[in-house]
Amino acid sequence: MKPMLSTDLNVADTIVEKAKIEVKNLNFYYGQSKALKDINLSLPERSVTAFIGPSGCGKSTLLRVLNRIYELYPKQSAEGQVLLDGKNILDRSQDLNLLRTKIGMVFQKPTPFPMSIYENIAFGVRLYEKISKAEMDSRVESALKRAALWNEVKDKLNASGQSLSGGQQQRLCIARTVAVKPEVILLDEPASALDPLSTAKIEELIDELQADYTIVIVTHNMQQAARVSRQTAFMYLGELVEFDRTEKIFTSPREKRTQDYITGRFG
Amino acid sequence: MATAQSLHQSRKRKNAVMMALCVIAAGIGLAWLALILGALLYKGLSGVNLAVFTEMTPPPGDAGGLLNAIYGSIVMTIIGIVVGTPIGVLAGTYMAEYGRFSKLTTVVRFINDILLSAPSIIVGLFVYELMVRPMGHFSAIAGAVALSILVIPVVVRTTEDMLNLVPNALREAGTAIGAPRWVVIRSVAYRAALSGIVTGILLAIARISGETAPLLFTALNNQFWSSNLNAPMASLPVTIFQFALSPYEEWQQLAWTGALIITLTVLGLSIIARSLTGRREDR
Repeated sequence: MKPMLSTDLNVADTIVEKAKIEVKNLNFYYGQSKALKDINLSLPERSVTAFIGPSGCGKSTLLRVLNRIYELYPKQSAEGQVLLDGKNILDRSQDLNLLRTKIGMVFQKPTPFPMSIYENIAFGVRLYEKISKAEMDSRVESALKRAALWNEVKDKLNASGQSLSGGQQQRLCIARTVAVKPEVILLDEPASALDPLSTAKIEELIDELQADYTIVIVTHNMQQAARVSRQTAFMYLGELVEFDRTEKIFTSPREKRTQDYITGRFG
Repeated sequence: MATAQSLHQSRKRKNAVMMALCVIAAGIGLAWLALILGALLYKGLSGVNLAVFTEMTPPPGDAGGLLNAIYGSIVMTIIGIVVGTPIGVLAGTYMAEYGRFSKLTTVVRFINDILLSAPSIIVGLFVYELMVRPMGHFSAIAGAVALSILVIPVVVRTTEDMLNLVPNALREAGTAIGAPRWVVIRSVAYRAALSGIVTGILLAIARISGETAPLLFTALNNQFWSSNLNAPMASLPVTIFQFALSPYEEWQQLAWTGALIITLTVLGLSIIARSLTGRREDR
């Protein structure tokens, strides 16, 4: 009889998945002031990672480094390494537009483009793919279905994206992001401007999307982090205080600062 | 308690006085506008007939129309807009998009504001030195250039302002989906700011369609039909200027009618501009 290997079980329990994104010795500056201090972190593929922490702790900044959107603004700079599938995306040779087709982003406030619902989704697809009208139609449909919005908008695809409700707009933005077939989706407090019902829909969506995408979500709603994520990173004053499985962070954190934050003693 | 009561009373009195002053001031402003429009309609409307739009400006003492002046105004305004708008829009785009954080933008904005409030007669003199003297004669094209110089600062200003009103979040969203900078500007920022930019262009048309001084030094005037851009050309403002100062009754009547035409055109453009902006705010 073969021995039942208890060690095997232990190994399976720890995180040995392939890392999609590895952050190494990352520092970030707004002008002279240092906003991120020596961040090291590894985000596993096809799972949801949450960044939590009080306002100004650098969680959004860290997210904005991952697709280098911060480069829209002068005086913001990052040093260190961010490896996407082992390749450093902070490298000068990295094509930013291609990077952003691989790493999609959804913002705090819904940002539908000033165009029709259909065009909102077709816009991103058209940038890098030449496909027929029929293919585009099915692409738009599948993206909207993916974002659980199809049934609500299928009869008014030509209506302005800005005519939708806040929650629908946010799902439109998710659909738009999914349509360009990214590998990673960054969510910057995607539900903080939405009502509880819309929030629940977004969270459900995140749960479904993790089967295909690596998802990173910034939230200052700790319940939300606990509900949707598999790993949680707690940040404070530009430092990564603790990074572990979500249930570990919320039940038995190693650090006292984490403990204090999740129990509401500060933040 | 008694003091509180009297305090309240005195505040009410002050409020009534201030409100009355404001109403009077607003009334005075509106009254002038109404008087001007009334006088124009009263004096100008009686002269409106088919001949105004079909006949040339007459010699003194004769009946005639304003066709060559209307034509000249339209031609020079169109050229002025066609030349000035792209420069203005592109400069405004640079300032609001590419050069948002650059020092050059601050400098350009400052200079543009000076140009915006520069007396138009100076622009006329400038083009006179620049084009009329070297060419040796007045010309419609010089007039159009003078007008386009007036168009540029208006369009630069409104384009920059309107693009600055486009939320940065929208630009970030466009960028985040992988769109290059120019696509974000063209397909997202321009689209969001479109009605505002168009409003600026309409305002520029309204502004130049009534300008006299820059044309006096450049296109001068022409009693006859001329579609030659290299020759002097009539325009409504200059014709009004000339005819209104003349002792001939027919000319004076045409001046009133011309003034009415310009005013109604500008009024119409302003209403269109306003309704475009209004629609944007309603959204």
